[in-house]
Amino acid sequence: MTEEYDVEFVEREDRKARFLVRGVTPAFANGIRRAMIADVPTMAIDTVRFVENSSVMFDEQLALRLGLVPLTTPPEGEFTEDDTVTLSIDVEGPATAYSGDLVSSDDLVQPADENVPIIELKDDQRLEAEADAVLNRGKDHAKHQGGVAVGYRHLQRVEVGDDVPEFEEQERRIVRGVIEEDGELVPTSEFDHDLTNRYPGKEVRVEDVPNAFVFHVETDGSFTVDELVTRAVDSIEARAIELEEAVQL
Amino acid sequence: MELRVTESSDDELSIEIGGEDHTFMNVLKGALLEHDDVSAATYDMNPEQSGGQTEPILTIKTEGGVDPLDALEEAAVNVREKTTAFREAFEAAA
Amino acid sequence: MMVPVRCFTCGNVVGEHWEEFKARARDGDEDPAEVLDDLGVERYCCRRMLVSHTDLVDVVSPYQ
Repeated sequence: MTEEYDVEFVEREDRKARFLVRGVTPAFANGIRRAMIADVPTMAIDTVRFVENSSVMFDEQLALRLGLVPLTTPPEGEFTEDDTVTLSIDVEGPATAYSGDLVSSDDLVQPADENVPIIELKDDQRLEAEADAVLNRGKDHAKHQGGVAVGYRHLQRVEVGDDVPEFEEQERRIVRGVIEEDGELVPTSEFDHDLTNRYPGKEVRVEDVPNAFVFHVETDGSFTVDELVTRAVDSIEARAIELEEAVQL
Repeated sequence: MELRVTESSDDELSIEIGGEDHTFMNVLKGALLEHDDVSAATYDMNPEQSGGQTEPILTIKTEGGVDPLDALEEAAVNVREKTTAFREAFEAAA
Repeated sequence: MMVPVRCFTCGNVVGEHWEEFKARARDGDEDPAEVLDDLGVERYCCRRMLVSHTDLVDVVSPYQ
């Protein structure tokens, strides 16, 4: 049984992409989606040691905020689940401590965004802390979730029919996602998601294209979209191999 | 992944697959149902609150004298081939 | 108190855009909707995080 998949990008940026996959079963598409959300490990701060915190927020509140800052996740194989990377922060008021003030002990693990305010410090307030970042999965804590708003929709095929009867008021026809028109992929945002804008005065029929899914994937900055998708697929593959070996015994 | 056979006969097998959730089980079930000699495949998972078992239990029924365990192995191979094919297709487009 | 780091609903990092949003839409006179579009904060779950936020550090700091 050989599978024939076909992938085509509709929209592509580092942290955000939309791509069409043809030939996938709903079960497999959903497996990939779930793996992207819960099974791809990312780095995030997990333990914080406060040296000084005279700010208006409690230690644990700041620890939560630090944990939520996305950190760039090193290439696969560089780290295992038990390794830690230490990041330190030392800011004295009056100033605001930003995620960019975190100094990492490892070049591969850096704050992905630099302008996230951690805490605003007033005169004589100071924040000094050391934090340990660990690799873990989204299943254990949302801060380790690399994929943001990951989902898919069926590709829709639009068939244009006859003219609408002359004196009939045409109702709006809202479709969201990507439509296929003679093999061309058109995001519905191009015509404000309303088919009557694209085909005025025409009857249209919309149907799902079987086994064709348009994935929408965004990442929190831990890695690129490509990386997230490949790692999600890797995680499913690793489990399939594990099962295969376990059954053979 | 810890496997534990709970029920087994010539054409039927119930096996607990420890540590997995819907992510992998549904893909695996989908692959099993595509198998020619599998007449039925399902998995059962109870949420923790329901008080039952929480690990998924996969049940496979085969026809034509095929060992369900062999069908399971072939389904695992099939999932692996799918992931390889998907990765190749994705990287070709990327 | 401080702006949430991430959107409660989808997990998108919104704290990153707070200072610019504040400078342009709160302190400045630009239309908040346009600023959010410009910053790439698209979904309404993320947009409400910034639109409905109030900094309270100045309010509580005298009581430290």
